[in-house]
Amino acid sequence: MDTDRYLQPQQARQRPPTIFEDLLGDAIERAFAAGNHTLPELVAHLNREGLPAGNGQPWTEDSFSALMARLGREGDAA
Amino acid sequence: MTTIAIANAAADPVEKLLTFGPKNLWYAVCPSGFVGEKPVSLRRFGRKLALWRDASGQVHALEDHCPHRGGPLSQGVALGDRIACPYHGVEVRCDGTVTKVPGSPGCKLEGSRPALAFHVKEAHGAIFAFNADKNIDEPPAFTLPEELSSPEFSSFLCYSEWKCDWRYAMDNVMDPMHGTFLHKQSHSMAEGDSTAAFRIRDTETGFVFEKTGQRGVNFDWTEWGVTGTAWMRLEIPYPKTGGPGGNFAIVGCVTPINERMSAIFFWRCRKVDGWMRDTWRFLYRNRLEARHWAVLEQDRVMLEAMEPDANQREHLYQHDIGLVRLRRFLKTMATEQAQAAAG
Ligand code: FES
Ligand SMILES: [Fe+2]
Repeated sequence: MDTDRYLQPQQARQRPPTIFEDLLGDAIERAFAAGNHTLPELVAHLNREGLPAGNGQPWTEDSFSALMARLGREGDAA
Repeated sequence: MTTIAIANAAADPVEKLLTFGPKNLWYAVCPSGFVGEKPVSLRRFGRKLALWRDASGQVHALEDHCPHRGGPLSQGVALGDRIACPYHGVEVRCDGTVTKVPGSPGCKLEGSRPALAFHVKEAHGAIFAFNADKNIDEPPAFTLPEELSSPEFSSFLCYSEWKCDWRYAMDNVMDPMHGTFLHKQSHSMAEGDSTAAFRIRDTETGFVFEKTGQRGVNFDWTEWGVTGTAWMRLEIPYPKTGGPGGNFAIVGCVTPINERMSAIFFWRCRKVDGWMRDTWRFLYRNRLEARHWAVLEQDRVMLEAMEPDANQREHLYQHDIGLVRLRRFLKTMATEQAQAAAG
């Protein structure tokens, strides 16, 4: 790739994603693709698929929202 | 106040304004993160700018040209709102005033305002500079579309530099039909008819160029607006995997770097709230950014392979009337500015 100008594909994140985040991203996209567009539907889909939450417990609306709040705002300007 | 000329400019004043960008507009010059307390030099609209932050984080910009003999101010030392030229130590304040001439204290350069200063504002993750040819006290305000200014939207800036005339980059955005062909193999533009009738609708700040009878299927419309700064916006539907929140929108600004290089600012925006906003931001960082980037690279590769005189040898047809209107808009603006400058 040319280096005489700024061409940086990753500008929004500060670090590479973890394996868990990649799996979670896959699972969220599959849930959306299946038409689960509300929070209860999405959480139920994740639990059906069997991807455990970070703490090994089933997902709840609160735990999913809290994780997204942390990951979704990571690196945002205050 | 004397006007400070641009070097290497085209001989025709209208063509010069079109090549380097009309004056008296705010232009995005770089992402916020490019500028820290150590001065940096960036070429924009045919000039070199020296940009730096003072201790409070405020960004300042002077032409990167010392009023003494043209030394690079950006290689000097920033002293709050002033910068000391590395060549002979002349100190220039962010408004263009020389505050100190160490080699000849009391000389008439001290206290005069010979350096070209740029007003600077930081917004939406970018630094904007007001492109005037002379020092002015208060530039007019600028606004950007609601996708950026309203808290109902969430956005990420994508910045890129393309080796092409800035007008090619703008023509590209004013050409929605290319989405159906160039971006057919993309995550968001596989749908919609490959033929369409277009129309132009005037707005208070510019115009909308849109397909008739198709909206929300592919890249179906583009708006051009001038609100103290020039911008374009468009919407593209997300596939179902993009989740709730509807279309994503792009607000775009293009700033000429020189005749053959452009600074591209695309803010990717979505009207989302609560967990949907957080989830979109997570997915954007985790995977969507890379997909959007791949689409943008298709544009870059196409435009960079086009000859500099490609826009002199065209056979335009109906879906090109948007870019014809845009070119006419810019030409009118440049002609008025050239006539005003000629007095
Ligand atoms: S050129 Fe800058 S001080 Fe002489
Ligand atoms: Fe494109």
